[in-house]
Amino acid sequence: MVPTSYFIILSAILFVLGAFAFFVKRDLITQFLCIEVMLSAANLAFIAFAKSASSLDGQIIVIFIITVAAAEAAVGLAIILLVYRQKKTIKSEDMNLMKG
Amino acid sequence: MNSLNAMFPLLTLIVGALLVLILEVSIKRENKTYLAFISIIFLMICGFFCVQSWGKDFSYFNNHLYLDNFALFFSIVLIITTILVTLISMKYLSLQNTNVGEYYALLLLALSGMLIMVSSSDLIVIFLGLEVLSMSSYTLAGLKRDDQKSSEAALKYFLLGSFASAFLVYGLALLYGVSNSTSIAVIIDHFKTESSLSFMAFAGLGLVIVGFGFKIAVVPFHMWTPDVYQGAPTPITAFFSIGPKAVGFAVLVRLLYPFWHVAYDSEVIFSLLWIISALTMIIGNLIALRQTNIKRMLAYSSIAHAGYLMVAILSQDTSSLMFYFVVYLFMNIGAFAAVIALGKKDKEYLELDDYAGIGFKYPWIGATFAVFLFSLAGFPPTGGFLAKFYVFSAAVREGLVSLVIIGVLASLVSVYYYLRIIVYMYMREPTHEVDINLENPALFLVLFLCLYGVLQLGIFPGNILLIIKQAVSSIAFL
Amino acid sequence: MIELFLVFLVFGFVGALMVVVNKILGPRKTNPTKEMPYECGSPPLQEGINPFPIKYYLVAFLFLLFDIEVVFLFPWALVFKEVGMTGVILMFAYIFILLMGFIYAWKKGAFQWEK
Repeated sequence: MVPTSYFIILSAILFVLGAFAFFVKRDLITQFLCIEVMLSAANLAFIAFAKSASSLDGQIIVIFIITVAAAEAAVGLAIILLVYRQKKTIKSEDMNLMKG
Repeated sequence: MNSLNAMFPLLTLIVGALLVLILEVSIKRENKTYLAFISIIFLMICGFFCVQSWGKDFSYFNNHLYLDNFALFFSIVLIITTILVTLISMKYLSLQNTNVGEYYALLLLALSGMLIMVSSSDLIVIFLGLEVLSMSSYTLAGLKRDDQKSSEAALKYFLLGSFASAFLVYGLALLYGVSNSTSIAVIIDHFKTESSLSFMAFAGLGLVIVGFGFKIAVVPFHMWTPDVYQGAPTPITAFFSIGPKAVGFAVLVRLLYPFWHVAYDSEVIFSLLWIISALTMIIGNLIALRQTNIKRMLAYSSIAHAGYLMVAILSQDTSSLMFYFVVYLFMNIGAFAAVIALGKKDKEYLELDDYAGIGFKYPWIGATFAVFLFSLAGFPPTGGFLAKFYVFSAAVREGLVSLVIIGVLASLVSVYYYLRIIVYMYMREPTHEVDINLENPALFLVLFLCLYGVLQLGIFPGNILLIIKQAVSSIAFL
Repeated sequence: MIELFLVFLVFGFVGALMVVVNKILGPRKTNPTKEMPYECGSPPLQEGINPFPIKYYLVAFLFLLFDIEVVFLFPWALVFKEVGMTGVILMFAYIFILLMGFIYAWKKGAFQWEK
């Protein structure tokens, strides 16, 4: 039996990695994937806590979060596609029409 | 009282949104104004249900949806916001070549997300409502599909918004870990029993506050605000500056007020929020000084207003917060309506230079815009003054004197950039021709209603204060 | 055991250090020719990746959405007997909303392969 704290540490590492890479990476799709990694980290934490407390809530919450992530992916990729069609680039430093 | 009545406002909105969507694809008509009227009818029915359940404490889904008066008050404020935004959009959409019927359906869906957020006290349900709101908002920001700025605004809003919700979810996971529940009341109860906050609980609460901080746009989580507000279609900017902020603060009230009284380490969170509030007021107002684009300037002004509202959160005075929101609704929508009024086919006048001489050329628009700007700056006969006065006097009562001094100084700074527009409107010679499309009855109705609201709230605020008192006394911390 | 761990730690650290130092100290001079993909010396004839037609993305998005929404049917199936009629009504309301979305996508022409 793997202790719960291992899962939590793993999920914390995943979360911090995702947040860090979000700022470092310069590609919109990669940044979007970083957000997905962060959501997965939260999912892992929820599952681990639900298992250790043997309650069902956490598992149902994970289903909700997965659904939300899928809807977010559809909307987000559509927006990225829209931007790509206008600018022919998906580098985040090229998103600079507005300044001040 | 467990009753299906609690679902009626939400069901109305969802049915309305679906109907608008289906009508949009089945009736191929160039003019989409009829969809706006349909959605206004549904909004009014929804408002009727909300008014009817005032004081009845309906609940459903094991109290996951709980319509106390506090929730109903915010629901009604948000419904009024959406009605006004729908009215100012009608002409704007056809003028700015954004004639899509989905617009109204998305507005209704965004509103339903906000109603879920204000009427729940379970953090996961609040998160789901937030996502319904955010997903519609991302799309709404990018609806001017031929405009590169609009797409860029949608992109920035999407990336930073979902980044913030990832923080929120991870914070929820940690809070779930320490207390085995996502209900606010259980989490607070858990804090009561602990002698000091564990690191995990502290990090969880911090992440949740960061997540909501992005939504209400307080410094240092405000980077997305100016770009999104500038790029989005103007009525949607008006919507963003009120809707998400109102629900964010409503959730913070539900989360933080019981927290102040129980937790031993609440001073840490308190001082963090103190710093955030002070920074928001200072930075928001200072950066607004050097903006020449009106929408961008109003964006920074809305950041500054979030700072004043944060003062109300810190002084634990819900009634001044709610009064501020009612006034803020009227003055901000009014200001944006005046900005929208200065537009014609495929052209919006958004630079400060365009406003030179407007006051004499279009006296009605100029005068009402001036009243809204006076109100935003906080001059006495208007509602803006009373709202600021209530917030700051409540803060002084709670002993937050230094924060109030910062707030008053910051709002003195804000007078400069609000009055600058008025100076341009009345004292500068126009540099170039500005002609606008004046056939827009719905917009002028909104201008009139907002003017009435701002003056009524500034001169006779008695009735609304009575309603707010009822709402505050009934907040259910389930 | 601990020696093995130390060896891995030391060499891992040295490896990481070399990569990082290289990044920091090494000169960075690029020109367009250097950035080009290498194709046996001859200049490349076209872009490396041809973007898919837009229709594929649309179908992929729709699949993603309608596929993942079904996930809620499984927990319902597990507690079907306990929740009874309320569950049936709520689930049908849920499927009704999805159906409306489907009709919207259909009427909008999302499934038309050739226009």
